[in-house]
Amino acid sequence: MIELANLTASFDGAAALRDATLSVAPGDRLGVVGESGSGKTLFALCLMGMAPDAANLSGSIHVDGQDMSVASESDWQAIRARRVAMVFQEPMAALNPLRRVGVTVAEPLMVHEGISRQAALARALALFKEVGINEPEARLRQFPHQLSGGQRQRVLIALALACNPALLIADEPTTALDASVALRITDLLVRLAKERQMALIFISHDLATVARATNEIMVMYGGDIVERGPTTDVLETPIHPYTKGLLAALPKWLIAQRDAEGKRSRLATIPGSVPPLPELPQGCRFAGRCQNELANCATERPALQQKSVGRSAACHLLDRDAS
Amino acid sequence: MSAPLLQAQGLTRRYRLPRQSFFQSPPVLTAVDNATFSINAGETLGIVGESGSGKSTLARLVMAFETPDEGQVLFRGQCPHTVSNRELRTMRQQFQMVFQDPYGSLDPRRKIGWSIAEPLRATGADGDPTKQVDEALEQVGLHYSDAAKYPHEFSGGQRQRIAIARAIVTRPALLVADEAVSALDVSVQAQVLNLMMDLQDELGLGILFISHNLAVVASICDHLLVMQRGKTVESGAAADILRAPSNPYTQSLLNAAGVAL
Repeated sequence: MIELANLTASFDGAAALRDATLSVAPGDRLGVVGESGSGKTLFALCLMGMAPDAANLSGSIHVDGQDMSVASESDWQAIRARRVAMVFQEPMAALNPLRRVGVTVAEPLMVHEGISRQAALARALALFKEVGINEPEARLRQFPHQLSGGQRQRVLIALALACNPALLIADEPTTALDASVALRITDLLVRLAKERQMALIFISHDLATVARATNEIMVMYGGDIVERGPTTDVLETPIHPYTKGLLAALPKWLIAQRDAEGKRSRLATIPGSVPPLPELPQGCRFAGRCQNELANCATERPALQQKSVGRSAACHLLDRDAS
Repeated sequence: MSAPLLQAQGLTRRYRLPRQSFFQSPPVLTAVDNATFSINAGETLGIVGESGSGKSTLARLVMAFETPDEGQVLFRGQCPHTVSNRELRTMRQQFQMVFQDPYGSLDPRRKIGWSIAEPLRATGADGDPTKQVDEALEQVGLHYSDAAKYPHEFSGGQRQRIAIARAIVTRPALLVADEAVSALDVSVQAQVLNLMMDLQDELGLGILFISHNLAVVASICDHLLVMQRGKTVESGAAADILRAPSNPYTQSLLNAAGVAL
Protein backbone atom coordinates (compact mmCIF):
# COMPACT_ATOMS: atom_id res chain seq x y z
CA MET A 1 0.00 0.00 0.00
CA ILE A 2 2.77 2.40 0.96
CA GLU A 3 6.27 1.65 -0.16
CA LEU A 4 9.39 3.58 0.68
CA ALA A 5 12.70 2.88 -0.99
CA ASN A 6 15.94 4.45 0.20
CA LEU A 7 14.14 7.53 1.39
CA THR A 8 16.70 10.05 2.58
CA ALA A 9 16.03 13.50 3.96
CA SER A 10 18.90 15.86 4.58
CA PHE A 11 19.23 19.39 5.87
CA ASP A 12 22.24 21.35 4.56
CA GLY A 13 23.95 18.10 3.59
CA ALA A 14 23.41 16.44 6.97
CA ALA A 15 21.09 13.45 6.65
CA ALA A 16 18.34 13.35 9.28
CA LEU A 17 16.83 10.24 7.71
CA ARG A 18 18.96 7.77 5.77
CA ASP A 19 17.75 5.14 3.32
CA ALA A 20 14.45 4.32 4.94
CA THR A 21 13.05 1.31 3.11
CA LEU A 22 9.72 -0.05 4.15
CA SER A 23 6.45 -1.36 2.88
CA VAL A 24 3.19 -1.21 4.77
CA ALA A 25 0.26 -3.50 4.01
CA PRO A 26 -3.31 -3.29 5.32
CA GLY A 27 -3.59 -4.65 8.83
CA ASP A 28 0.09 -4.15 9.67
CA ARG A 29 0.77 -2.64 13.06
CA LEU A 30 4.28 -1.24 13.00
CA GLY A 31 5.95 0.42 15.96
CA VAL A 32 8.65 3.02 15.43
CA VAL A 33 10.90 3.42 18.45
CA GLY A 34 13.74 5.82 19.01
CA GLU A 35 14.81 8.75 21.15
CA SER A 36 14.55 12.46 20.37
CA GLY A 37 16.40 13.26 17.19
CA SER A 38 16.26 9.71 15.86
CA GLY A 39 14.17 10.81 12.88
CA LYS A 40 10.86 9.21 13.92
CA THR A 41 8.71 12.26 13.36
CA LEU A 42 10.49 13.28 10.15
CA PHE A 43 9.84 9.76 8.90
CA ALA A 44 6.13 10.12 9.69
CA LEU A 45 5.95 13.53 8.03
CA CYS A 46 7.55 12.08 4.88
CA LEU A 47 4.80 9.45 4.75
CA MET A 48 2.26 12.27 4.78
CA GLY A 49 4.13 14.31 2.17
CA MET A 50 4.68 16.98 4.80
CA ALA A 51 8.47 17.01 5.10
CA PRO A 52 9.74 20.54 5.86
CA ASP A 53 10.61 22.64 2.78
CA ALA A 54 14.22 22.86 3.91
CA ALA A 55 14.62 19.09 3.66
CA ASN A 56 16.41 17.71 0.63
CA LEU A 57 14.67 14.47 -0.28
CA SER A 58 15.83 11.54 -2.35
CA GLY A 59 14.60 7.98 -2.83
CA SER A 60 11.03 7.10 -3.58
CA ILE A 61 7.60 6.89 -1.99
CA HIS A 62 4.80 4.94 -3.65
CA VAL A 63 1.25 5.16 -2.36
CA ASP A 64 -1.10 2.59 -3.92
CA GLY A 65 1.44 2.18 -6.71
CA GLN A 66 1.48 5.89 -7.50
CA ASP A 67 4.96 7.44 -7.47
CA MET A 68 4.71 10.29 -5.01
CA SER A 69 8.24 11.60 -5.53
CA VAL A 70 6.95 13.49 -8.57
CA ALA A 71 3.60 14.31 -6.95
CA SER A 72 2.37 17.85 -6.51
CA GLU A 73 0.91 19.25 -3.31
CA SER A 74 -2.62 18.69 -4.64
CA ASP A 75 -1.83 15.02 -5.34
CA TRP A 76 -0.76 14.72 -1.72
CA GLN A 77 -3.91 16.47 -0.54
CA ALA A 78 -5.98 13.81 -2.29
CA ILE A 79 -4.09 11.14 -0.38
CA ARG A 80 -4.02 12.77 3.04
CA ALA A 81 -7.03 11.99 5.20
CA ARG A 82 -8.42 9.48 2.68
CA ARG A 83 -5.47 7.12 2.44
CA VAL A 84 -3.08 8.25 5.15
CA ALA A 85 -4.09 10.13 8.29
CA MET A 86 -2.20 11.16 11.37
CA VAL A 87 -2.82 11.57 15.10
CA PHE A 88 -0.49 13.99 16.84
CA GLN A 89 1.03 14.07 20.29
CA GLU A 90 -0.49 17.14 21.85
CA PRO A 91 -4.27 17.04 21.41
CA MET A 92 -4.77 20.57 22.72
CA ALA A 93 -2.40 22.03 20.14
CA ALA A 94 -3.85 19.98 17.30
CA LEU A 95 -7.44 21.14 17.82
CA ASN A 96 -8.72 24.59 16.96
CA PRO A 97 -9.74 26.06 20.33
CA LEU A 98 -12.39 28.32 18.77
CA ARG A 99 -14.26 25.51 17.01
CA ARG A 100 -16.74 23.02 18.34
CA VAL A 101 -15.08 19.62 18.09
CA GLY A 102 -18.00 18.21 16.06
CA VAL A 103 -17.37 20.79 13.33
CA THR A 104 -13.65 20.03 13.38
CA VAL A 105 -14.34 16.33 12.79
CA ALA A 106 -17.01 17.05 10.15
CA GLU A 107 -14.78 19.38 8.13
CA PRO A 108 -12.65 16.77 6.27
CA LEU A 109 -15.86 14.96 5.30
CA MET A 110 -17.29 18.13 3.77
CA VAL A 111 -14.01 18.91 2.00
CA HIS A 112 -13.03 15.46 0.77
CA GLU A 113 -16.39 13.82 0.25
CA GLY A 114 -18.43 16.90 -0.58
CA ILE A 115 -21.30 15.96 1.70
CA SER A 116 -23.56 18.47 3.45
CA ARG A 117 -22.78 19.89 6.86
CA GLN A 118 -25.69 18.04 8.39
CA ALA A 119 -24.67 14.69 6.90
CA ALA A 120 -21.07 15.30 7.95
CA LEU A 121 -22.15 16.03 11.54
CA ALA A 122 -24.17 12.81 11.56
CA ARG A 123 -21.05 10.94 10.45
CA ALA A 124 -19.03 12.74 13.13
CA LEU A 125 -21.51 11.49 15.73
CA ALA A 126 -21.06 7.91 14.51
CA LEU A 127 -17.27 8.36 14.70
CA PHE A 128 -17.53 9.73 18.25
CA LYS A 129 -19.44 6.59 19.21
CA GLU A 130 -16.89 4.37 17.49
CA VAL A 131 -13.96 5.87 19.39
CA GLY A 132 -15.79 5.61 22.70
CA ILE A 133 -16.52 9.24 23.53
CA ASN A 134 -19.13 9.34 26.28
CA GLU A 135 -22.25 11.48 25.73
CA PRO A 136 -21.32 11.87 22.05
CA GLU A 137 -24.29 14.11 21.14
CA ALA A 138 -23.37 16.68 23.76
CA ARG A 139 -19.64 16.49 22.97
CA LEU A 140 -20.20 17.42 19.33
CA ARG A 141 -21.16 20.90 20.45
CA GLN A 142 -18.34 21.36 22.96
CA PHE A 143 -15.04 23.16 22.59
CA PRO A 144 -11.63 21.47 23.11
CA HIS A 145 -11.08 23.13 26.51
CA GLN A 146 -14.21 21.48 27.85
CA LEU A 147 -12.82 17.99 27.23
CA SER A 148 -10.26 16.01 29.21
CA GLY A 149 -6.93 15.04 27.65
CA GLY A 150 -8.09 11.50 26.90
CA GLN A 151 -11.36 12.75 25.34
CA ARG A 152 -9.42 15.23 23.20
CA GLN A 153 -7.17 12.47 21.94
CA ARG A 154 -10.28 10.45 21.08
CA VAL A 155 -11.62 13.43 19.12
CA LEU A 156 -8.33 13.59 17.20
CA ILE A 157 -8.58 9.89 16.44
CA ALA A 158 -12.16 10.37 15.22
CA LEU A 159 -10.90 13.23 13.04
CA ALA A 160 -8.15 11.06 11.59
CA LEU A 161 -10.60 8.23 10.90
CA ALA A 162 -13.22 10.49 9.29
CA CYS A 163 -12.34 9.64 5.69
CA ASN A 164 -11.59 5.94 6.33
CA PRO A 165 -7.82 6.05 5.86
CA ALA A 166 -6.00 2.85 4.96
CA LEU A 167 -3.06 3.87 7.12
CA LEU A 168 -3.16 5.69 10.43
CA ILE A 169 0.06 7.21 11.73
CA ALA A 170 0.02 7.92 15.45
CA ASP A 171 2.96 10.10 16.52
CA GLU A 172 3.43 9.77 20.28
CA PRO A 173 -0.36 9.60 20.76
CA THR A 174 -0.18 8.75 24.46
CA THR A 175 2.85 10.71 25.65
CA ALA A 176 0.82 13.63 27.02
CA LEU A 177 -1.65 11.39 28.85
CA ASP A 178 -1.85 9.73 32.27
CA ALA A 179 -0.78 6.09 32.39
CA SER A 180 -4.26 4.57 32.70
CA VAL A 181 -5.72 6.87 30.02
CA ALA A 182 -2.73 6.14 27.76
CA LEU A 183 -3.46 2.46 28.12
CA ARG A 184 -7.07 2.90 27.00
CA ILE A 185 -6.06 5.04 24.00
CA THR A 186 -3.46 2.46 22.97
CA ASP A 187 -6.02 -0.33 23.16
CA LEU A 188 -8.51 1.80 21.22
CA LEU A 189 -6.02 2.29 18.37
CA VAL A 190 -5.33 -1.44 18.24
CA ARG A 191 -9.03 -2.26 18.23
CA LEU A 192 -9.74 0.24 15.43
CA ALA A 193 -6.84 -1.07 13.34
CA LYS A 194 -8.16 -4.62 13.66
CA GLU A 195 -11.81 -3.77 13.07
CA ARG A 196 -11.13 -1.58 10.07
CA GLN A 197 -8.32 -3.68 8.60
CA MET A 198 -6.32 -0.48 8.75
CA ALA A 199 -2.55 -0.29 8.89
CA LEU A 200 -1.19 1.45 11.99
CA ILE A 201 2.19 3.08 12.41
CA PHE A 202 2.68 3.75 16.09
CA ILE A 203 5.54 6.09 16.91
CA SER A 204 6.68 6.31 20.51
CA HIS A 205 9.72 6.48 22.72
CA ASP A 206 7.86 4.37 25.26
CA LEU A 207 8.78 0.74 24.66
CA ALA A 208 6.06 -0.67 26.91
CA THR A 209 3.33 1.12 24.93
CA VAL A 210 4.77 0.04 21.60
CA ALA A 211 4.99 -3.54 22.84
CA ARG A 212 1.30 -3.43 23.63
CA ALA A 213 0.19 -1.82 20.37
CA THR A 214 2.21 -3.42 17.61
CA ASN A 215 3.27 -6.74 16.13
CA GLU A 216 6.29 -5.39 14.32
CA ILE A 217 8.88 -2.89 15.45
CA MET A 218 11.46 -0.66 13.85
CA VAL A 219 14.19 0.87 15.99
CA MET A 220 15.69 4.15 14.80
CA TYR A 221 18.85 5.93 15.84
CA GLY A 222 20.30 9.08 14.30
CA GLY A 223 18.05 8.81 11.23
CA ASP A 224 18.89 5.17 10.48
CA ILE A 225 16.71 2.13 10.88
CA VAL A 226 19.03 0.03 13.05
CA GLU A 227 16.82 -2.95 13.74
CA ARG A 228 13.54 -4.46 12.56
CA GLY A 229 11.54 -7.50 13.48
CA PRO A 230 8.49 -8.89 15.26
CA THR A 231 7.88 -6.81 18.40
CA THR A 232 8.22 -9.59 20.98
CA ASP A 233 11.37 -10.99 19.35
CA VAL A 234 13.10 -7.62 19.19
CA LEU A 235 12.24 -6.79 22.81
CA GLU A 236 13.21 -10.23 24.10
CA THR A 237 16.37 -10.82 22.07
CA PRO A 238 17.61 -7.48 20.72
CA ILE A 239 20.41 -7.70 18.16
CA HIS A 240 21.69 -4.17 17.70
CA PRO A 241 23.82 -2.74 20.53
CA TYR A 242 21.62 0.37 20.61
CA THR A 243 18.44 -1.66 21.06
CA LYS A 244 20.18 -3.63 23.79
CA GLY A 245 21.31 -0.44 25.53
CA LEU A 246 17.84 1.08 25.30
CA LEU A 247 16.19 -1.97 26.83
CA ALA A 248 18.81 -2.18 29.57
CA ALA A 249 18.25 1.47 30.50
CA LEU A 250 14.56 0.92 31.26
CA PRO A 251 13.81 0.96 34.97
CA LYS A 252 12.95 -2.70 35.50
CA TRP A 253 10.78 -2.69 38.56
CA LEU A 254 13.86 -3.51 40.52
CA ILE A 255 12.72 -2.13 43.79
CA ALA A 256 15.39 0.05 45.31
CA GLN A 257 17.26 -2.11 47.79
CA ARG A 258 20.08 -0.70 49.81
CA ASP A 259 23.12 -2.84 50.48
CA ALA A 260 25.02 -2.89 53.78
CA GLU A 261 26.57 0.51 53.00
CA GLY A 262 23.21 1.98 52.08
CA LYS A 263 23.89 2.10 48.34
CA ARG A 264 21.25 1.33 45.75
CA SER A 265 21.94 -0.36 42.47
CA ARG A 266 22.28 2.01 39.52
CA LEU A 267 20.45 1.77 36.22
CA ALA A 268 22.31 0.66 33.13
CA THR A 269 23.03 3.58 30.81
CA ILE A 270 24.22 4.22 27.29
CA PRO A 271 27.33 6.39 27.69
CA GLY A 272 27.36 9.85 26.14
CA SER A 273 24.50 11.53 24.31
CA VAL A 274 23.20 11.76 20.76
CA PRO A 275 25.52 14.16 18.90
CA PRO A 276 23.96 17.05 16.95
CA LEU A 277 22.98 16.17 13.37
CA PRO A 278 26.05 17.50 11.52
CA GLU A 279 28.37 15.71 13.96
CA LEU A 280 26.84 12.24 13.61
CA PRO A 281 29.39 9.71 12.38
CA GLN A 282 29.16 8.96 8.67
CA GLY A 283 29.41 5.22 9.26
CA CYS A 284 27.24 3.62 11.88
CA ARG A 285 25.39 6.44 13.64
CA PHE A 286 25.89 4.70 16.97
CA ALA A 287 29.68 4.68 16.65
CA GLY A 288 31.32 6.50 19.53
CA ARG A 289 28.69 5.35 22.02
CA CYS A 290 28.77 1.65 21.23
CA GLN A 291 30.42 -0.73 23.71
CA ASN A 292 31.50 -3.19 21.00
CA GLU A 293 32.82 -0.79 18.43
CA LEU A 294 34.98 -2.17 15.61
CA ALA A 295 37.65 -0.28 13.68
CA ASN A 296 35.47 0.39 10.64
CA CYS A 297 32.28 1.39 12.49
CA ALA A 298 32.73 5.17 12.45
CA THR A 299 33.55 5.36 8.74
CA GLU A 300 31.82 2.42 7.09
CA ARG A 301 28.09 2.23 7.17
CA PRO A 302 26.60 -1.18 8.02
CA ALA A 303 23.72 -2.26 5.79
CA LEU A 304 20.42 -3.43 7.22
CA GLN A 305 20.82 -7.18 6.79
CA GLN A 306 18.57 -10.07 7.50
CA LYS A 307 19.57 -12.14 10.50
CA SER A 308 16.70 -14.60 10.54
CA VAL A 309 13.19 -14.70 9.14
CA GLY A 310 11.65 -11.28 9.53
CA ARG A 311 14.50 -9.96 11.63
CA SER A 312 17.18 -7.60 10.46
CA ALA A 313 19.72 -5.24 11.96
CA ALA A 314 22.38 -2.84 10.71
CA CYS A 315 25.57 -3.68 12.57
CA HIS A 316 29.10 -4.68 11.59
CA LEU A 317 29.18 -7.15 14.47
CA LEU A 318 26.86 -9.38 12.44
CA ASP A 319 29.47 -9.63 9.65
CA ARG A 320 32.21 -10.36 12.14
CA ASP A 321 30.18 -13.05 13.87
CA ALA A 322 29.22 -14.59 10.53
CA SER A 323 32.79 -14.84 9.20
CA MET B 1 18.31 8.05 63.92
CA SER B 2 18.04 11.75 64.59
CA ALA B 3 14.91 13.79 63.92
CA PRO B 4 13.68 13.71 60.32
CA LEU B 5 14.87 16.38 57.93
CA LEU B 6 11.35 17.30 56.98
CA GLN B 7 8.08 16.62 58.70
CA ALA B 8 4.69 17.45 57.28
CA GLN B 9 1.64 17.13 59.50
CA GLY B 10 -1.92 17.27 58.29
CA LEU B 11 -1.09 19.46 55.30
CA THR B 12 -4.23 20.72 53.62
CA ARG B 13 -4.61 23.16 50.78
CA ARG B 14 -7.94 24.26 49.35
CA TYR B 15 -8.63 26.33 46.28
CA ARG B 16 -11.80 28.29 45.61
CA LEU B 17 -13.06 27.50 42.14
CA PRO B 18 -14.89 30.04 39.96
CA ARG B 19 -18.45 30.71 41.04
CA GLN B 20 -20.87 28.45 39.17
CA SER B 21 -23.99 30.42 39.93
CA PHE B 22 -24.49 33.90 41.32
CA PHE B 23 -26.50 32.69 44.28
CA GLN B 24 -24.24 29.89 45.39
CA SER B 25 -20.96 30.14 47.17
CA PRO B 26 -18.10 29.09 44.90
CA PRO B 27 -17.14 25.40 45.08
CA VAL B 28 -13.95 24.52 46.93
CA LEU B 29 -11.39 22.05 45.65
CA THR B 30 -9.27 20.34 48.27
CA ALA B 31 -6.05 19.85 46.31
CA VAL B 32 -4.16 18.34 49.22
CA ASP B 33 -6.12 16.79 52.05
CA ASN B 34 -4.48 16.06 55.37
CA ALA B 35 -1.10 14.82 54.10
CA THR B 36 1.33 13.61 56.73
CA PHE B 37 4.81 12.38 55.93
CA SER B 38 8.47 12.79 56.80
CA ILE B 39 11.76 12.61 54.95
CA ASN B 40 15.10 11.64 56.47
CA ALA B 41 18.45 12.85 55.24
CA GLY B 42 19.81 10.61 52.50
CA GLU B 43 16.41 9.08 51.78
CA THR B 44 13.89 9.47 49.00
CA LEU B 45 10.16 9.82 49.42
CA GLY B 46 8.20 9.20 46.24
CA ILE B 47 4.85 10.88 45.64
CA VAL B 48 2.76 8.99 43.09
CA GLY B 49 -0.60 9.68 41.52
CA GLU B 50 -2.27 10.69 38.29
CA SER B 51 -2.51 14.28 37.09
CA GLY B 52 -4.82 16.28 39.31
CA SER B 53 -4.08 14.16 42.35
CA GLY B 54 -2.35 17.02 44.15
CA LYS B 55 1.29 15.96 43.77
CA SER B 56 2.53 19.31 42.54
CA THR B 57 0.51 21.27 45.10
CA LEU B 58 2.18 19.18 47.77
CA ALA B 59 5.59 20.08 46.33
CA ARG B 60 4.65 23.77 46.27
CA LEU B 61 3.61 23.59 49.92
CA VAL B 62 6.90 21.96 50.90
CA MET B 63 8.80 24.59 48.91
CA ALA B 64 6.82 27.33 50.68
CA PHE B 65 5.60 28.69 47.35
CA GLU B 66 2.15 28.31 48.88
CA THR B 67 0.81 28.42 52.39
CA PRO B 68 -1.25 25.50 53.70
CA ASP B 69 -4.79 26.15 54.96
CA GLU B 70 -4.20 23.62 57.71
CA GLY B 71 -1.28 21.66 59.04
CA GLN B 72 2.36 22.54 59.05
CA VAL B 73 5.71 21.76 57.52
CA LEU B 74 8.66 21.47 59.84
CA PHE B 75 12.02 21.70 58.17
CA ARG B 76 14.72 20.85 60.70
CA GLY B 77 12.24 21.88 63.33
CA GLN B 78 11.49 25.24 61.71
CA CYS B 79 8.30 26.05 59.81
CA PRO B 80 8.99 27.91 56.56
CA HIS B 81 5.41 29.18 56.48
CA THR B 82 5.61 31.11 59.72
CA VAL B 83 9.12 32.59 59.61
CA SER B 84 9.65 36.13 58.35
CA ASN B 85 10.32 36.72 54.67
CA ARG B 86 13.93 37.57 55.45
CA GLU B 87 14.43 34.32 57.34
CA LEU B 88 12.63 32.35 54.62
CA ARG B 89 15.02 33.80 52.05
CA THR B 90 18.00 32.36 53.87
CA MET B 91 16.15 29.19 54.71
CA ARG B 92 15.58 28.52 51.01
CA GLN B 93 19.25 27.62 50.70
CA GLN B 94 18.27 24.44 52.50
CA PHE B 95 15.58 23.26 50.07
CA GLN B 96 15.68 23.58 46.30
CA MET B 97 13.61 22.31 43.43
CA VAL B 98 14.11 20.67 40.03
CA PHE B 99 11.25 21.15 37.57
CA GLN B 100 9.91 18.93 34.85
CA ASP B 101 10.67 20.82 31.66
CA PRO B 102 14.39 21.41 31.12
CA TYR B 103 13.51 23.67 28.18
CA GLY B 104 11.17 25.93 30.11
CA SER B 105 13.08 26.23 33.36
CA LEU B 106 16.26 27.90 32.05
CA ASP B 107 16.31 31.48 30.77
CA PRO B 108 17.32 31.14 27.09
CA ARG B 109 18.96 34.58 27.08
CA ARG B 110 21.24 33.99 30.03
CA LYS B 111 24.42 31.97 30.13
CA ILE B 112 23.92 28.90 32.26
CA GLY B 113 26.54 30.06 34.77
CA TRP B 114 24.25 33.00 35.51
CA SER B 115 21.21 30.74 35.87
CA ILE B 116 23.02 28.35 38.18
CA ALA B 117 24.19 31.23 40.41
CA GLU B 118 20.66 32.63 40.67
CA PRO B 119 19.71 30.74 43.87
CA LEU B 120 22.93 32.05 45.47
CA ARG B 121 21.94 35.63 44.69
CA ALA B 122 18.28 35.08 45.57
CA THR B 123 19.02 33.63 48.99
CA GLY B 124 21.90 35.96 49.76
CA ALA B 125 24.47 33.18 50.11
CA ASP B 126 28.04 33.98 51.13
CA GLY B 127 31.16 32.92 49.31
CA ASP B 128 32.48 33.13 45.80
CA PRO B 129 29.62 32.32 43.39
CA THR B 130 31.94 31.42 40.49
CA LYS B 131 33.66 28.76 42.54
CA GLN B 132 30.37 27.32 43.77
CA VAL B 133 28.95 27.24 40.24
CA ASP B 134 32.04 25.45 38.93
CA GLU B 135 31.75 22.92 41.72
CA ALA B 136 28.06 22.30 41.06
CA LEU B 137 28.73 21.84 37.33
CA GLU B 138 31.40 19.28 38.10
CA GLN B 139 29.12 17.42 40.47
CA VAL B 140 26.52 16.91 37.74
CA GLY B 141 29.10 15.71 35.24
CA LEU B 142 29.54 18.91 33.22
CA HIS B 143 32.68 20.99 32.72
CA TYR B 144 33.24 24.37 34.40
CA SER B 145 33.78 25.94 31.00
CA ASP B 146 30.13 25.12 30.19
CA ALA B 147 29.12 28.01 32.47
CA ALA B 148 29.75 30.42 29.60
CA LYS B 149 27.34 28.66 27.23
CA TYR B 150 23.65 29.27 26.57
CA PRO B 151 20.89 26.69 27.20
CA HIS B 152 20.29 26.07 23.48
CA GLU B 153 23.79 24.62 23.20
CA PHE B 154 22.80 21.68 25.40
CA SER B 155 20.66 18.58 24.89
CA GLY B 156 17.58 17.88 27.02
CA GLY B 157 19.48 15.59 29.36
CA GLN B 158 22.30 18.09 29.80
CA ARG B 159 19.77 20.83 30.54
CA GLN B 160 18.25 18.72 33.26
CA ARG B 161 21.77 18.28 34.68
CA ILE B 162 22.09 22.08 34.63
CA ALA B 163 18.76 22.38 36.46
CA ILE B 164 20.07 19.94 39.06
CA ALA B 165 23.33 21.91 39.33
CA ARG B 166 21.25 25.02 40.01
CA ALA B 167 19.32 23.17 42.69
CA ILE B 168 22.40 21.89 44.52
CA VAL B 169 24.51 25.04 44.26
CA THR B 170 23.30 26.33 47.63
CA ARG B 171 24.20 22.95 49.21
CA PRO B 172 20.62 22.15 50.18
CA ALA B 173 19.59 19.37 52.52
CA LEU B 174 16.37 18.67 50.62
CA LEU B 175 15.74 18.42 46.91
CA VAL B 176 12.20 18.50 45.53
CA ALA B 177 12.06 16.91 42.07
CA ASP B 178 8.69 17.41 40.37
CA GLU B 179 8.54 14.99 37.41
CA ALA B 180 12.21 15.79 36.91
CA VAL B 181 12.89 12.86 34.57
CA SER B 182 9.49 12.56 32.89
CA ALA B 183 10.37 14.63 29.84
CA LEU B 184 13.59 12.75 29.16
CA ASP B 185 14.34 9.88 26.80
CA VAL B 186 14.83 6.46 28.34
CA SER B 187 18.63 6.36 28.19
CA VAL B 188 18.96 9.97 29.39
CA GLN B 189 16.43 9.30 32.12
CA ALA B 190 18.61 6.47 33.42
CA GLN B 191 21.65 8.78 33.44
CA VAL B 192 19.82 11.51 35.37
CA LEU B 193 18.35 9.03 37.89
CA ASN B 194 21.82 7.62 38.52
CA LEU B 195 23.13 11.16 38.97
CA MET B 196 20.45 11.89 41.56
CA MET B 197 21.33 8.70 43.45
CA ASP B 198 25.04 9.57 43.30
CA LEU B 199 24.43 13.08 44.62
CA GLN B 200 22.18 11.72 47.32
CA ASP B 201 24.82 9.27 48.53
CA GLU B 202 27.54 11.91 48.30
CA LEU B 203 25.74 14.85 49.88
CA GLY B 204 23.20 13.05 52.06
CA LEU B 205 20.33 14.81 50.33
CA GLY B 206 16.76 14.08 51.25
CA ILE B 207 14.70 13.90 48.06
CA LEU B 208 11.00 14.42 47.54
CA PHE B 209 10.52 12.68 44.22
CA ILE B 210 7.28 13.27 42.36
CA SER B 211 6.48 11.04 39.42
CA HIS B 212 3.63 9.31 37.67
CA ASN B 213 6.01 6.60 36.45
CA LEU B 214 6.00 3.78 38.96
CA ALA B 215 8.94 1.92 37.43
CA VAL B 216 11.08 5.05 37.87
CA VAL B 217 9.82 5.50 41.41
CA ALA B 218 10.64 1.87 42.20
CA SER B 219 14.26 2.37 41.21
CA ILE B 220 14.99 5.39 43.42
CA CYS B 221 12.51 5.68 46.31
CA ASP B 222 12.75 4.33 49.85
CA HIS B 223 9.27 5.42 50.89
CA LEU B 224 6.14 6.06 48.93
CA LEU B 225 3.00 8.12 49.28
CA VAL B 226 0.16 7.42 46.85
CA MET B 227 -2.28 10.26 46.24
CA GLN B 228 -5.72 10.27 44.66
CA ARG B 229 -7.73 13.48 44.33
CA GLY B 230 -5.78 15.11 47.14
CA LYS B 231 -6.11 12.26 49.61
CA THR B 232 -3.33 9.98 50.75
CA VAL B 233 -4.57 6.51 49.86
CA GLU B 234 -1.47 4.58 50.82
CA SER B 235 1.93 5.27 52.31
CA GLY B 236 4.85 3.29 53.62
CA ALA B 237 8.02 1.54 52.52
CA ALA B 238 8.28 1.58 48.72
CA ALA B 239 9.15 -2.11 48.52
CA ASP B 240 6.06 -3.13 50.51
CA ILE B 241 3.66 -0.98 48.52
CA LEU B 242 5.00 -2.01 45.13
CA ARG B 243 5.07 -5.70 46.00
CA ALA B 244 1.71 -5.86 47.72
CA PRO B 245 -0.42 -2.73 47.24
CA SER B 246 -3.31 -2.80 49.69
CA ASN B 247 -5.34 -0.04 48.07
CA PRO B 248 -7.35 -0.65 44.88
CA TYR B 249 -6.22 2.69 43.42
CA THR B 250 -2.55 1.77 43.87
CA GLN B 251 -3.29 -1.58 42.27
CA SER B 252 -4.90 0.11 39.28
CA LEU B 253 -1.86 2.42 38.94
CA LEU B 254 0.41 -0.60 38.98
CA ASN B 255 -1.71 -2.37 36.38
CA ALA B 256 -1.79 0.70 34.16
CA ALA B 257 1.99 0.96 34.36
CA GLY B 258 2.10 -2.42 32.64
CA VAL B 259 4.50 -4.44 34.73
CA ALA B 260 5.03 -6.36 31.48
CA LEU B 261 8.39 -4.91 30.51
